[in-house]
Amino acid sequence: MKEEILNIEIKGKSAAVTPFQIKDCALIVRICDQLPAINLRELHERVGNCPEDSLYHHFCETVVRPSFDDPEFHNDFARWARHALHDHVLAERLEILHPYSFDNMEDLRKELIDIIADRLSEIHYIPWALHDQAFFFRSATTVVFDTTRIIESPEDLCNAIDEMTTSSLYYHFWEARRRTPGKIDDFSHWLLDWNDRGKPLIKAFSQIDFYFMSLPELQQRLRQVIKDTGKSWAKK
Amino acid sequence: MGEKIKSIRSYEPIVGPAVLNQLRQLAGNLEGLRVVHVNSTKTGGGVAEILTWMIAFMRELGIDASWEVIGGNEPFFNTTKLFHNGLQGNQVSLSTHHIKAYEETNRNNAETLRHKLEDADIVFIHDPQPAMLLSLCSGRRGKWIWRCHIDASQPYRPVWKYLRPLLEGYDASIFSMAEFTRALPHPQFLVAPSIDPLSEKNIDLPQSEIDDVYNRFGLSPDKPILTQVSRFDRFKDPLGVIYGYKLARKCCPIQLVLAGGSADDDPEGAEVLREVREAAQDDPDIHVLMLPPDAHRTINALQRCSDVIIQKSTREGFGLTVTEGLWKGKPVIGGQVGGIALQVINHHTGFLVNSPEGMAQRVRYLMNHREVMKTMGNKGREFVRENFLLTRHLREYLTLMVGLRRGFSSRLIAAT
Repeated sequence: MKEEILNIEIKGKSAAVTPFQIKDCALIVRICDQLPAINLRELHERVGNCPEDSLYHHFCETVVRPSFDDPEFHNDFARWARHALHDHVLAERLEILHPYSFDNMEDLRKELIDIIADRLSEIHYIPWALHDQAFFFRSATTVVFDTTRIIESPEDLCNAIDEMTTSSLYYHFWEARRRTPGKIDDFSHWLLDWNDRGKPLIKAFSQIDFYFMSLPELQQRLRQVIKDTGKSWAKK
Repeated sequence: MGEKIKSIRSYEPIVGPAVLNQLRQLAGNLEGLRVVHVNSTKTGGGVAEILTWMIAFMRELGIDASWEVIGGNEPFFNTTKLFHNGLQGNQVSLSTHHIKAYEETNRNNAETLRHKLEDADIVFIHDPQPAMLLSLCSGRRGKWIWRCHIDASQPYRPVWKYLRPLLEGYDASIFSMAEFTRALPHPQFLVAPSIDPLSEKNIDLPQSEIDDVYNRFGLSPDKPILTQVSRFDRFKDPLGVIYGYKLARKCCPIQLVLAGGSADDDPEGAEVLREVREAAQDDPDIHVLMLPPDAHRTINALQRCSDVIIQKSTREGFGLTVTEGLWKGKPVIGGQVGGIALQVINHHTGFLVNSPEGMAQRVRYLMNHREVMKTMGNKGREFVRENFLLTRHLREYLTLMVGLRRGFSSRLIAAT
């Protein structure tokens, strides 16, 4: 994955790079038409039919919706397996799934179904949740808007990231991977145009294990990475 | 209630300029939109509190927002009280007289409000009281949303059978949590409640005002304070809290504050209060405080002088008292129910417990790890700042309205 990013062809137009336009986004969450699941067998069936947007929500939008950043579980399926079904083994197997390592959501769905099916075949009972702990399939609409702020050069990135809302950071660093051709973050995509000045940051960004961070943690890490890279710029 | 309405700008020092810019940018897509909220009371209760600031903020952001309150007589409000209890699963006795009072009142209000409601771009109908208005405004041109503020997941069937046909025609509904929803043939959105950090309940207080509660209520400044703020209601388990406190105090010197409102009009509440007083009578370190409904600053000061906030409910809605405690930088020990479980994360913002013994164990742990209490308190406050202040609440309403105008897809690009 990291190699793929670095092998993307660098365009030689650093003389006139378009400024980076900072966007922001807001989410509104809704319940899907899918019935809630009250046990593992129902979850297995319903994961097969739920909308792709719902999978994306439960794996990727957990970080930006109004809830505490759960340091232990980063997707809703793992969290539900642990806290509602009390199946620690299943929770661990689901938690390790990194949605951005799959080519698309359908591949992720297949893996999710496989893991649940394997677990159902291993145990001699169907784990049930209490009646008030059903798994509700949700999805979200993301409204994207322009903040009218721009970043003119890689050197300005640190301050700009400092002033961003966490939802803006989510949009450019997480959500970008859903819509950019190389499945990279928007900053790296923009830095490609900066040739040698952009390369070290692209490399550093690609090494961040962002999926297991909260957005404030990511913000802090990005700032640090940019500062460290800035020192190497200064040395040169 | 009765508080001066603040400008959105007043919140900038708390949430930062970027969050307010978000609101302005979203609202830029809704300028001039005619939005009407309808409920059944102008003062008192959580809905009226929300609408007071929300209408003012929407107007400040350029939306043509207004608030209509339906009028009604005693039989009408008796009926809607039955609806309220029935939606939450209590068995109630609903007669044709009740239905008649409900429908007559809605028809009367429709005569007064029809023109305005039919002309609006978006109408938010809050709770069941004005829910019938939709069926009485056949010439409506905008989108109508039913906002349910209560847990309707397991309603008493006869009540739901009556209300459901009135709700089916709405374009969408909003619930506070997924677990509170009830299947309806339209999109159901989730918007969690919020707190106002500048309200009397939550605003920063001068230290002198916090210190004053020690004298007023005879609290010792030398013993850590556990505080539960709630009605004297069995679902809040005040007797369980006393038992948990008694177990914990065997190992560490602590005092307990149980602060709640008057239970004069609630026979069961009065009975619970009597039992609480009986359980507390032999212990000078248990303080049972009956406070008037407008004692917001006193509650605020009590929470701020506490070391740990308790909310050991056995059944709970969202649990805004937990949010308030977290906002004051206190760890919370809460029952593992409802919205408490969304806010209290073991070892991070506090502890979830299922018994008085569990509560006692966690109290002892915190009393022996003061530095952990501080870390948890800081995390809790930041968690609330990010997720549960009224700016987030407003942002979700604005996002919903943009979606209603533009149609819902997974991603919408707003106009700039």
